[in-house]
Amino acid sequence: MSWQRYRNELIVAMALLFALTALFYKHARRSEMAQINQQMATEFALLQETVSLKKIWGDKQIGKKVDALKSLVPSSKLVWEKRGRKLHVTLHDLSASEVNKVVTRLLNIPVQVQKLKAEKTGSSYSMEIACKW
Amino acid sequence: MSLNFSGSRRPLILVHRAMPTVTGIEGRVDVMVTPQFYTLKREALHVRFAHQAQKVALSLFDGLIDDPARHDYFVYREEDAWVFIAYDPKEIASFLESKGLPPKRVAKLFFAQQAKKHFSNPVALGEKEALVRIDQTVTVVPRAALPEQEWGVFDETFRPGKGVSFGATGASLLTRKQAVLLAVILSLFGVIWLVEGWRYGRTNTTLQSKLESYYAKYPSLQSAYTRESIAAKYRKIDTAERKKREVVGKIAGMLFKGVMLQSFEMDEKGFRAVFEAADAKALKRLEALAKASGIVKKQRKTGTTMIVEGNV
Repeated sequence: MSWQRYRNELIVAMALLFALTALFYKHARRSEMAQINQQMATEFALLQETVSLKKIWGDKQIGKKVDALKSLVPSSKLVWEKRGRKLHVTLHDLSASEVNKVVTRLLNIPVQVQKLKAEKTGSSYSMEIACKW
Repeated sequence: MSLNFSGSRRPLILVHRAMPTVTGIEGRVDVMVTPQFYTLKREALHVRFAHQAQKVALSLFDGLIDDPARHDYFVYREEDAWVFIAYDPKEIASFLESKGLPPKRVAKLFFAQQAKKHFSNPVALGEKEALVRIDQTVTVVPRAALPEQEWGVFDETFRPGKGVSFGATGASLLTRKQAVLLAVILSLFGVIWLVEGWRYGRTNTTLQSKLESYYAKYPSLQSAYTRESIAAKYRKIDTAERKKREVVGKIAGMLFKGVMLQSFEMDEKGFRAVFEAADAKALKRLEALAKASGIVKKQRKTGTTMIVEGNV
């Protein structure tokens, strides 16, 4: 049996093989690229998250923002201890609205609250705040 | 009939109506048919390529042959004109079959006209006829019409360069045209898929450029290890601090007219709040609010005082 007898079939078979190889190549590339794109998307999402978290919690201006707490109550009512990136404040003779103001402002600053204590003594409040950044 | 067994080439057989049955030849052969099996036309067309000439072949034989659709056409250039040969492959196949030569054993089909320069001396076709060139056309003539002269011998030198693939059509499930058409379609799909594959190969350029701009702005984050470590550090802080702020918000939400916060304490681990309710009704409402807050793990009452505790 000579291959020439089936030359027409061979031509079609070769073309079919070529087409199937191309199809396989296309699918392989598609899944490979989908995987790469997925990895890139994940990497990008992580990068975005890292950058935004760093921007919030690693902000170099936090120290200055924390100083704004001092302006909320008269200096006679607070004892301010700021060392490096740590703050310890005790406040006394505060009204309820002053407590509110201090707490609201504090929680709006991206600091790590280590201690937050408020206690009613008679008609006024005393507070203790410890935080770092 | 003359045979050639020399070399590795297939034997070349001259096929004519008066030929005897083919015997003693094994394997595949090439055949050259006499004008008894084809109709010839010579035209000086202003076309450059054979495939262009091939397109007009059918119309050229209109009225010259019966059932032109049954015929195949072979076209080649001869000096300054195109030679068109119309032949019926089925007729040739059935004749060859009758002479003991199944079409599947025939590899190439040639036409006597292609070897016209070799027919300057007539070649005998049996007892009565001969094949000879008359005015540039190879023709079958009666032997009696030829004067006494030197006779030519059909041999391997008569083999033309180009022929028609013949045997394949006999054994094949597909005709040449079908095969070519299918091959072209499949190849076209192949090319399309290759191009698509190549296009898939290109990454998401938008995302890539965004990533590159981020890395240019934050070079320290190029290392996956650094990135993960920074993300883990800040994620932990973010989760804990959001929880603390949520607790303070929920505690503030539990205050209403008739309830006073006596003390509140929160550190890294948990919180403790002491409420003083004005009456039992306020205490009951406070209790319900504490339960609904979802942050209270422990709560206890002493008179109108309620203490709640939980984790951060």
